[in-house]
Amino acid sequence: MIHDNKTPDRNEESKYVHSAKAFRTNVARDLNNSELRDNFRGAMDYLVDKRKSAFLESEELESLRLQCQLIKQRCLVKLPHLLEQLEENLQANGIHVHWAETINDANEIIAQLIKKQGGISVVKGKSMVSEETALNDYLAAQDIECLESDMGEYIVQLAKEHPSHIIMPAIHQNKKQVAKLFADNIDGFSYSTDVDTLIQQGRTVLRDKFCHADVGISGVNFAVAETGTLCLVENEGNGRMCTTVPDLHIAITGIEKVVEHLADVPPLLSLLTRSATGQAISTYFNMISHPRQQGEKDGPKQVHLVLLDNGRSQAFADEELRQTLQCIRCGACMNHCPVYTRIGGHAYGTVYPGPIGKMISPHMLGLESTKDLPTASSLCGACGEVCPVKIPIPKILLRLRKESVKAKNSSKVMKGEGASRTTLEAFIWRCWAMIHQMPHLYKAMMWMMTRGRKLIPSKLGPWTKVRTAPKPAKQTLHEILASKGKV
Amino acid sequence: MKVTSRLGSSISARANILGKLKQQVKGADYNKLPIEQAYDYPENCFSTQLNQFVELLESNHAQVIKLSKKDIAEVVLRELTARNLDSLLHGAGGQYSEYIDSLASTINLTPYDFMIEDNKSGLFNDYPASITGSHCAIAQTGSIVLWPNVQEPRTLSLVPPVHFVIVDSHELYQDFATLISAQKWQDKLPTNVVLISGPSKTADIQQTLAYGAHGPKELIVLLLQKDADL
Repeated sequence: MIHDNKTPDRNEESKYVHSAKAFRTNVARDLNNSELRDNFRGAMDYLVDKRKSAFLESEELESLRLQCQLIKQRCLVKLPHLLEQLEENLQANGIHVHWAETINDANEIIAQLIKKQGGISVVKGKSMVSEETALNDYLAAQDIECLESDMGEYIVQLAKEHPSHIIMPAIHQNKKQVAKLFADNIDGFSYSTDVDTLIQQGRTVLRDKFCHADVGISGVNFAVAETGTLCLVENEGNGRMCTTVPDLHIAITGIEKVVEHLADVPPLLSLLTRSATGQAISTYFNMISHPRQQGEKDGPKQVHLVLLDNGRSQAFADEELRQTLQCIRCGACMNHCPVYTRIGGHAYGTVYPGPIGKMISPHMLGLESTKDLPTASSLCGACGEVCPVKIPIPKILLRLRKESVKAKNSSKVMKGEGASRTTLEAFIWRCWAMIHQMPHLYKAMMWMMTRGRKLIPSKLGPWTKVRTAPKPAKQTLHEILASKGKV
Repeated sequence: MKVTSRLGSSISARANILGKLKQQVKGADYNKLPIEQAYDYPENCFSTQLNQFVELLESNHAQVIKLSKKDIAEVVLRELTARNLDSLLHGAGGQYSEYIDSLASTINLTPYDFMIEDNKSGLFNDYPASITGSHCAIAQTGSIVLWPNVQEPRTLSLVPPVHFVIVDSHELYQDFATLISAQKWQDKLPTNVVLISGPSKTADIQQTLAYGAHGPKELIVLLLQKDADL
């Protein structure tokens, strides 16, 4: 089948499949970039401190975490029902609802909506789900300009990169790098590393775009089933611009973002902003329930919501993995992760980096390309301790490790399961299990290991790259204790 | 009004997604869900709430001016003059119009009486300041709640670089949850509700806070108090 350039294949896989596969190479590259490591270290220390200062009473924090965990778990148990209720109430409010199973389905729905409107210029507020679908590339291939309007996303788009952090997308760049980027890309910009000057420059460019855009695209932080309301959390005002100024507003979100009641929102919002940036609340909390109504002078004439699955229903199908979908995307897990702090966000090669990325990306991209991600954790537990909705992240990472090495004929849980399994490793573990079940064999093996200790080579592949080779003792513990008459 | 998706693939996607989800939670007993306990915040007295509200707004770089209704015009004029501004966009027939209209004799007072598509460029370029009323306010987060309407559109509080907002200190709620339940928001919401807790800002470049990212660079809160409170 022949495709022309302008009609992407519906089943084409995500571009992140390839970058995630290159995880180990990416890590080696980024660990050796000292400027990048300085940028992340500084940013993570800043965010950790901000969060700490936002939760002064541990009793309040723990109470809120428990409440929000239960809210999200209730909403997940009721998810199909709540999605139907959300759709019904949004439609009653005049908001159109679309469903997409794959990233390309979502992109195609959005492209069609824009084309129907005759749109050629799109402004987008921060939306990680649209990063997941690589919407900008899809629209660009159809001659539709989709400009990122969040300052961080704008910087990342100018640099032809993708976000390295889900809350602060350009955290990997320092002001000198941003100044150079602006100087190279914005006509008439005189080089300055003053942050106010840089932001005002971005403001000037983007306000002109808001003024002339045909379409605004946004994400959604909470979709309230009870009232048919889309809630957006932001500080800059670009989200309000995108959802208010253009004639057409298209929101895109994952199916797990639905909450049952409006009353579920305040505790979740409080934990979200405090965990993310240490703010009691974001500058703007924007609640959209209708397109422009009779007599109103502004606001989009049409509002659409695209609900995306993209692997979420796979995570939903397993009770343990379902907890992944409790995530409210605050980014606290990555801010506190010793691995993320050192390797940065791009090394993961996925849209969502850090602990949340390691948990959710295998469902989106399959374990074949993401099998290394769950292993990139020391299981120190920091992520689980700070997670506002109490997702047991280390446990889920262990589970994903098991899924990645399980035998092909076991029960089907996820795409790409068993991808890390090798015949040799499986054979070694079978032998190990057998040895431990047979005392005579175990004793014989231990005797051989202790007596043959000098035969162990000094070079043991990757292990001895950064460590000395292990040297077994002269005698087994059993023998030592027996000689002392203790066994 | 019912609106349905016209895209065929969306209809089958809907059936597939809901089908997969329903299969997993078939027969779930909602009565067995654990009880959710909200954190019991101590109830603060009015003056504590008001102080908290003002402190939070100020720490978020908003300017708060306490005044009585009759002084609105005078204070707005003073603040505009201090910024070398002589024009103000306002909502014609809005909440506090009677207190603002007198400004027409001293400054260029323009009503937002156009459809946005007829004057987008004017809206973005010609009005350095705007003024709106507010629905109520939240002490715990220092937030001002706006319910934009026909008189005071959504962009009135968003596009002009300086935003004056009039807040009645007696419309202050302790927290967001209390407000939603007291006013029964779940029964009816307008086109848009927005909580504003400071001027537009960003820390996207090297965690350095900068104000006026896209929305107003300045938020000037005119906090109405009864004469006896001043």
